Amino acid sequence: MTDPITNWTPSGSSAVASDRPSLEQLAETERRQVLARLLDESREIRGTSLWSDAWRRLRRRRTAMVSLAGLIVLIILAVLTPLLPLQSPIDKDLQNRRLLPPEWSSVTMGSREGLGFADRSLVAELRRFDAEIDDLRRRLADTSDASARKDLENKIRQRTEIEHPFNQLWNRLGPVSWTMCRMRIAVFGDYAIPSLFGTDKLGRDLLARVFWGARVSLVVGVVATLVSLVIGVTYGATAGYLGGTVDAVMMRIVDILYSIPFIFVVIFLITFLGEDTVKAWLQARGIEQITIFYFVIGAIYWLTMSRVVRGQVLSLRNEQFIEAARTIGASPARIVFRHLVPNVLGVVIVYLTLTIPAVMLFEAFLSFLGLGVAPPDVSWGQLLNDGVEALSSVKLFWWVVIFPGAALAATLFALNFLGDGVRDALDPKLKNRD
Amino acid sequence: MRHLLGYAIRRFGWMLLTLWIVYTVSFVLMRSVPGNPFSSERTVPPAIERQLRARYNLDAPPIRQYFDYAIGIVTRGDLGWCLRLEDYSVNQVLAEGFPVSASLAIFGLVFAIALGIPAGVISAVRRGSLADLSMMTAAVLGIAVPNFVLASIVILLFVFMLPLFPAAGWGTLAQIVLPAFCLGAPVAAYIARLTRAGMLEVLSREHVRTAYAKGLSNRAVILKHVLPGAMLPVVSYLGPATAGVLTGSLVLEKIFAIPGMGSHFINAALQRDYTLAMGMVLTYTVLLFLMNSIVDISYAVIDPRVKLQ
Amino acid sequence: MTEPNPSAPLLSVRDLHVSFQTDDGLIEAVRGVSFDLARGETLGIVGESGSGKSVTNLALMGVIPTPPGRIDQGKANFDGHDLLAMSQSRLMAIRGRRIGMIFQDPMTALNPLMTIGQQLTEVTRRHLGLSPTAADRRAAEMLEMVGISSPGERLGDYPHEFSGGMRQRVMIAMALSCEPDILIADEPTTALDVTIQAQILELLAELQQRRGTSIILVTHDLGVVAGVCDRVLVMYAGRVVEQATVGDLFAAHRHPYTLGLLQSLPRLDRDQSTRLDAIAGQPPDMARIPSGCSFRPRCPVAMERCETDSPPLRELGPGHASACWHDDAAAAKRAAANADSPSEADR
Repeated sequence: MTDPITNWTPSGSSAVASDRPSLEQLAETERRQVLARLLDESREIRGTSLWSDAWRRLRRRRTAMVSLAGLIVLIILAVLTPLLPLQSPIDKDLQNRRLLPPEWSSVTMGSREGLGFADRSLVAELRRFDAEIDDLRRRLADTSDASARKDLENKIRQRTEIEHPFNQLWNRLGPVSWTMCRMRIAVFGDYAIPSLFGTDKLGRDLLARVFWGARVSLVVGVVATLVSLVIGVTYGATAGYLGGTVDAVMMRIVDILYSIPFIFVVIFLITFLGEDTVKAWLQARGIEQITIFYFVIGAIYWLTMSRVVRGQVLSLRNEQFIEAARTIGASPARIVFRHLVPNVLGVVIVYLTLTIPAVMLFEAFLSFLGLGVAPPDVSWGQLLNDGVEALSSVKLFWWVVIFPGAALAATLFALNFLGDGVRDALDPKLKNRD
Repeated sequence: MRHLLGYAIRRFGWMLLTLWIVYTVSFVLMRSVPGNPFSSERTVPPAIERQLRARYNLDAPPIRQYFDYAIGIVTRGDLGWCLRLEDYSVNQVLAEGFPVSASLAIFGLVFAIALGIPAGVISAVRRGSLADLSMMTAAVLGIAVPNFVLASIVILLFVFMLPLFPAAGWGTLAQIVLPAFCLGAPVAAYIARLTRAGMLEVLSREHVRTAYAKGLSNRAVILKHVLPGAMLPVVSYLGPATAGVLTGSLVLEKIFAIPGMGSHFINAALQRDYTLAMGMVLTYTVLLFLMNSIVDISYAVIDPRVKLQ
Repeated sequence: MTEPNPSAPLLSVRDLHVSFQTDDGLIEAVRGVSFDLARGETLGIVGESGSGKSVTNLALMGVIPTPPGRIDQGKANFDGHDLLAMSQSRLMAIRGRRIGMIFQDPMTALNPLMTIGQQLTEVTRRHLGLSPTAADRRAAEMLEMVGISSPGERLGDYPHEFSGGMRQRVMIAMALSCEPDILIADEPTTALDVTIQAQILELLAELQQRRGTSIILVTHDLGVVAGVCDRVLVMYAGRVVEQATVGDLFAAHRHPYTLGLLQSLPRLDRDQSTRLDAIAGQPPDMARIPSGCSFRPRCPVAMERCETDSPPLRELGPGHASACWHDDAAAAKRAAANADSPSEADR
């Protein structure tokens, strides 16, 4: 495997050096300058070659670029979901809105009677609620009695944390999302996008649920992939760098793990984690179940990554340019960070883009089986599960499976295409072919 | 033949090691759940509880349980009693579920191979044609659409809109069609892509030119000189494909209400039936090992350069 | 075998054009190649990589991959029929039966998944209609003929169990097993060790003597040409630039490119201190062939005329032709020299 880019540093600098006055003839400071310039040059050469080359190659593949654009839009939408004037993803309306087909008539936020909002409007209710809190605050400022103050403080906290109207419409908003929701109310007021995707069997708006589900699905995909990345790269690089018996033993372990049907083991593990006593034990230590879920998924997808990284490190260890770097006195740290990391990075990125769809699919799969993300959190797999359950009825509720299914399939589709494109762009084996 | 025997023995050794690891981990997890398996249930009369404790060997010290259970599995193939399905042994559940799942998986795989290989061959031979383009688009779709999404769509189309097939159940051929299709579709898509890529790769090799230069017909060259080589990646994919089919059958058995191992496994997981779940994991491990060994052997049969390791 | 007109060439190629559609545009790999091949003759085709020598032969065999390749025009008269106009099924009956072919790299030219026996018998069973046992016997004979020991046992072996030279022998056995009239050998020794090269060439020469097969030997190695060939075509950028008997090629070559090739040949009898004269420059980019004479950018003696007009291949004497504008000047000079000293010119 000849890699022009990685061979650049040593040979490139010596070539440049040859048509300059020899280093011995220069004063110490000049010599340093020359060396610094050479180093910069070599850096530039490598920087432009590897990544811009790959980018150029990737740009030529239209499917990959369309996928990339689509995914960027998806990510932006998912991040900005709280800002969008969507209906509530969790507010049920069993009386009036069960399994409505896609419709165009707009819905006023907070209009459902059961919510008991002032004027049946979220804006009015917020105004009322804020006034109430302000009132409490004023009373707090006026009071000097310590126990009364404490009472009031508790009351304020309880009211804002639990009884806030947002908590009836959204599930456990984080501080950022909370602010975004506030902004959204400020901008759009009570307006909400009609139920373009219809409603589910509990009368919740599917469009909003698909959007909020995208957030969970994407986060699972990214976090679990990062977990697999950390484990896989550490394990693979260690095995590859140490080599010899350690490598042989470590890879044998990977072989054994490969032959275990992991999906079943994970389901078994989740069974265990779902046990009430285990749940309580974890909650007592502040570990959320969904965190464990990320780690469990991530922990099974590291095998391929570790193999690939190990192979790459192993072959690079014996490459001539590493030898060359060593002979000109580069430190081990420099060798690792300037030579090994950029080379391994390529394959790592390739496998990252291929792991993300696999992980997202697995999450959807588990959630579909009811073993993954638990309500009131929403994920695409879960939406599909709800959809399939609603299917076996007399009427054709196609929208409950088509929309979440299309969202999941389109995302996986784009990720697969992008992954293929990135692999072709970065795979060193294909590099010299065109 | 000596190779084969040595290979089989080595593989068997690794399988035992793997099974032992799976067993140990499962056992430790199972027994580290606080309390006994019945404590959370309705109160059981003491006499019955004594009986239950005896059945599940809970009075023995954990180490003793570990070995007794293992000995039971090794000597009698006895995976113990289900925790939740009353009066069912794990073996009974397996005996009921296995034939169902196996036939579903075989139907799915056969369908995938029967569809995937010809599609791949045709697209490679007619590269760039409309047929190639449409089949490869279909293949990408087949890979990207998860089989439970596909299942929902085919149920919508062929059960509710055009009532051609029953929605659920097991036993008749009509009931197998939809689940087998959904199970096989992603595998067929992969096989088609692998076949096509393999064909194109082999077609560009020089020995194919030699074959043409010998005066063989196009058909003979494709079938005798190109296809076997193109099948190598497909054969190595059959190991992962089996894993995929086993996994896929979990959801499809759930969607189509098929009483196979998958449904039992999901129920076991949802109801925290540890003994059943562990027995199933062990069974799946053995199945996967067997399939991978068969794949390795067939690979070596096709490609004489490969030595079994 | 009786032939109505023994003096007529066995194969006669006229004005062959082959092009390939690639990402860089249309590449004309072969641009008007003509030559004759007599019965029992060994014709060498030399040239750098990309000069179109292999493509010419692949076109004759009808094994150019189409697309991207295309035979644009030309005739290849073989035994009264045009190979290039023939239907695939008729061509199939000729390929392997009457024209055999061996390729450059014996490592890749044999199917790694089939035994040598299967690959050998495939030809004879198809073309000669032999029964399986007869085909096996024939295959063993052929292996023995190309010098493979205990051939009967080796029929069941796979290509990877043979060394490179042995595999090339197998290829030769395969190409000759139907006793073809023409054997096309496309760089048969390039991928082999030097000692093995000599053995393979000897084998080819010996088999030819025994059977009277005509051979087209494609090579870039002039040493090989000197040892085996009767006549030589020198190709450059898809054209024949010189055509001569082996003797003329070494003693009276005319084209500057031929001269360049000969000068880049290491020779023991030359002064050790002089450097080898590689031909300056690179072989032309076939997507952008220079106007006029395509060798002009690298030619040490290029003239103005070479830039505008492409020199045709012109007969200079019996069996000798060259495509260079200098031949006009040279002919004039020779005429003058003839007048001066006739004895020298007689030679």
